[in-house]
Amino acid sequence: MKTGRLVSIAIFILVIAAFLFSWWRSDWSKSGLLVTTGAFLTLFILSFLYKDNPYYKFAEHLFVGVSAAYWMMMSFWNIMVPNLVAKLYPSLVGGALPALADKPPDYLFFIPMVLGIMLLMRLSPKGGWISRWALAFIVGTTAGLNLIRYLRSDFIRQIDNTMIPLVAQTDAGISFWGSFSNIVIFIGVLCGLIYFFFSKEHKGLFGGAARLGIWILMLTFGAGFGYTVMARISLLAGRMSYLFGDWLRLINQ
Amino acid sequence: MNNFCKTRLKFLPILIFLFLAGSLMAQTAEDTAEVLTEADTAEMEPQLPPPAPAKIDSVKDTPNDRGHSIDLWWSLSPDDDGTGNYVTGYEIWRFEKTETGEMDSVRRKSVPYAVGYFTDRGDKDNGQDPLPNGKDYWYRIRTIVSKTVYSDSEKFGPVQAEGQWYHTGKTPLAVAVLLFSTFTVAFIVIAGGSFDFKPFIIVPIISVTFIWIREIVLLLISGSFSFQTFILAVPFSAVGSLGLFIIAGGIGYPIGRYIHKQKGGKVDLYVRPLSGINAVDEAIGRATEMGKPILYVLGLGTAADIATICSFTVLGRVAKKVAEHQSSLIVPCYDPIVMTVAQEVVKNAYAEAGRPDTYDDDMVFFVTQSQFAYVAAVNGMMLRQLPASNFYLGLFYAESLLLAETGSLAGSIQIAGTDQVAQLPFFIVACDYTLIGEELYAASAYLSKEPILLGSLKAEDWGKSIFIFLAIVGVIAATFGWQNFIDWLAIRL
Amino acid sequence: MDNMDNSNKKSMLERLLLIDRRYVFICIALAVIIPILFHISFREIATDIVRDLYEEIDELPPGSRIMLSFDYAPTTAPEIQPMVDAIIWHAAKKNLKIYMMAVWPTGHSLIGQTIDSVLIPEFPDLVDGVDYMNLGYKAGNQGLIRVIVDDIKRMYSTDANGTDIDLIPMMKTVTSLKDMDFIVSFGGGFPGVKEWILFAGDPGNIKVGGCCTAVSAPLLYPYYPNQMVGLLGGIKGAAEYESEMIKHFPEFRRRPTPALDLMGPQTIAHIVIMFFIIFGNVMYFINRARERKLEDTGRR
Repeated sequence: MKTGRLVSIAIFILVIAAFLFSWWRSDWSKSGLLVTTGAFLTLFILSFLYKDNPYYKFAEHLFVGVSAAYWMMMSFWNIMVPNLVAKLYPSLVGGALPALADKPPDYLFFIPMVLGIMLLMRLSPKGGWISRWALAFIVGTTAGLNLIRYLRSDFIRQIDNTMIPLVAQTDAGISFWGSFSNIVIFIGVLCGLIYFFFSKEHKGLFGGAARLGIWILMLTFGAGFGYTVMARISLLAGRMSYLFGDWLRLINQ
Repeated sequence: MNNFCKTRLKFLPILIFLFLAGSLMAQTAEDTAEVLTEADTAEMEPQLPPPAPAKIDSVKDTPNDRGHSIDLWWSLSPDDDGTGNYVTGYEIWRFEKTETGEMDSVRRKSVPYAVGYFTDRGDKDNGQDPLPNGKDYWYRIRTIVSKTVYSDSEKFGPVQAEGQWYHTGKTPLAVAVLLFSTFTVAFIVIAGGSFDFKPFIIVPIISVTFIWIREIVLLLISGSFSFQTFILAVPFSAVGSLGLFIIAGGIGYPIGRYIHKQKGGKVDLYVRPLSGINAVDEAIGRATEMGKPILYVLGLGTAADIATICSFTVLGRVAKKVAEHQSSLIVPCYDPIVMTVAQEVVKNAYAEAGRPDTYDDDMVFFVTQSQFAYVAAVNGMMLRQLPASNFYLGLFYAESLLLAETGSLAGSIQIAGTDQVAQLPFFIVACDYTLIGEELYAASAYLSKEPILLGSLKAEDWGKSIFIFLAIVGVIAATFGWQNFIDWLAIRL
Repeated sequence: MDNMDNSNKKSMLERLLLIDRRYVFICIALAVIIPILFHISFREIATDIVRDLYEEIDELPPGSRIMLSFDYAPTTAPEIQPMVDAIIWHAAKKNLKIYMMAVWPTGHSLIGQTIDSVLIPEFPDLVDGVDYMNLGYKAGNQGLIRVIVDDIKRMYSTDANGTDIDLIPMMKTVTSLKDMDFIVSFGGGFPGVKEWILFAGDPGNIKVGGCCTAVSAPLLYPYYPNQMVGLLGGIKGAAEYESEMIKHFPEFRRRPTPALDLMGPQTIAHIVIMFFIIFGNVMYFINRARERKLEDTGRR
């Protein structure tokens, strides 16, 4: 226990010393401080790969706190002020948004204000039921908007997109790979839909098509997995680029 | 002086005269050249004949819009060979009557050669009303060869821009919505559900109330009042509900009622077995044998998300089994509202299983609304308490693999289900059973046997059948080159 | 002796199967760091889905209006920022009128950063309000898109700098999204490219192009090519676009090409991952065959 504590203190001193050394290398500049802080926070997070530790916890809590504050600030200045306060009482925002101060008030915005207050009633144990009305308005409006859009773009237009010739023609004649691609798309769509058909048991020919459908789905998920791996590696490469380029200056950016 | 010299001398004045005359003529030509204008130059150049005029085929209001737009089509000038060597373009001229009754014209636009259509949307500069509806306009097409060489077509008109109430291009969408609604209503009623007519009356009332309040507020504040809006609020608010009510309720409801009666009131809509749901009992049994708890994660969604709502149904089933087997259940929640709903679900499940005394509110608890902090907490629970079975059913984002991996490390049997396509690969790889996308919704219908859920599932299956049928027909048509059929079948919005 | 060899082999097999994941992390880290340090990169050729997007922007006549929507966060910037820089450079080079907005709150600051890092230093002649403008962030997700398809000024009364929108020259002839010649969404999640297609592209009949993270790319393929002109998916898409830019604009080579630079570590890391996948599967099947053999021996 005592040894463990000594090691922890030694590591802490080492981290502080390394931080100061890195900052000194950038001549105690402000940008150097920011880069050094970013680099160290990155290393703190990456240290989780070895084991959970206080440095990782510190970086995670810092991130959670800063992002919560940032979102709150953004919501206030980009939503509340121009969309509510400036609409109901324009002269009040003259200092921050002078262009809006001359506009006439729009009292229609009392309605969304009332709905917003109703939503906040969720916090009240006795008045929580009031928020359900505002929530119903939001859910109903969203459902109504989305029904048409999704039905058009994700259903009807996809029928249109599936109507492709099984024998693809180009100026030079029949295209083998084009035809192959079209056949795969058509069979994939058909069998995938058959797999998600719940009204009939998957037996016989129907079952065979469903089996093919799940294979095609698995291929798709595999491709999706691969894409996600690419995304994560590119984020890692970006971070490494930052550490070795901006911080350690070992590479020319 | 001899005769030869005298003869030559006689010619001298003539020569001098000719020389002077030549100089003067040159001067005159130069002077004349300075004064010559473009017109003079044009006159001096070979004169191009004017082109044959274009012929306006039709000028009419642009369909399926709110107005302020007129379409023009014209046949190209016979002299337009599509190369621009002779006819270089066309000008569209619009005419309107002024207050004094005279015709005022404005050149709207120039278009290049070989173009025979134009849509006039008016002049938007300086915020002027572009092409007001209901006003008479006339049009003329000028075929251009050069600035001075052109010919005009006959004036065509009068024509007015108008708005349309119904967008004919969206008819297939309207048909699709009404078909889907009819199927849903019919199957809900077949499955034994009831069709509630109240929303069709309440929704238009609320909508009209909002519009009337708005008009009254505007009247009080700014003195402006639109009588038309006030009156039209009623039919406009009602037309959507009425249409849906007539078609979906008027057709779907009777059909569903008839079939339900024909079956003697007992209709069990078939849903094929789902491997993930069949494994639920196995997972709970395993936990009971090992004496370890069951972890149920509802995901990061809110109570309004479909995946979370479906997860509540499965949670009810799992909680009932857990109560019957006297195992323990852990339900960490991300959202406070989800927590309150989950507490009610689990409490009711324990009561149904006949063990309300064993229910404890601490089984279902709130953790945090921060994504990765939530994951860290749940991972910690998994590693400390080593649950025998983990259920991940709901809405998940990037934390899906973190949860599944940790559960795998802890040695738990894992059943997952989400409609987030991006997260499915991770669950499939790391979990024993996965409900893919719509299988999660089907699972909740399968377990609960609620008519609304079953009816919706059946309607969706019918929708898929229609999709498959249209796709097969369309592919056959596309393969054989029946483009007219595809254009008729396909949607152009 | 034979049994001992077998048990030793089995335990080595088991050890290989249960290899500590931290060794894998180290291999991945080296696979990423070494190409970065030694500037290892590979040639990229644009695929059709990327080339279609490139050609759509390239064929727009000067003065055309292009709307760029910054719908991503700094967490996905390593993937998306190279696409943003390349496309905005392309648009400025083609003398297009660039309109920028954000449906994500974090997009607001990213627009500013992009203007400061690409437009101002490389195109100093461009004037704010005349050649490009920043509408900033507005809440509403797909609801915002739904409104501005018909009327932009109902949602935006000023630009991001607080200037009255009616006083901005670029907005004089623009009343709605339908006045845009092309929309490009840089999407890192929800709302993103899909919402732009559903709520602007399809109903407004406006051409939409997508630039997204690799995670979202598979979900957007069904919309290509009828509902979405082209798609840059992840860092690979960005690298392909950069290579296409270099091919047609040699001066583009003088500026940083982060996507092409990152494809080196990307490729090597993928090869390492593929090796581990194949290795793991081979070990799994060998172990399974061995276990079956032992079971059969045990039964006899």
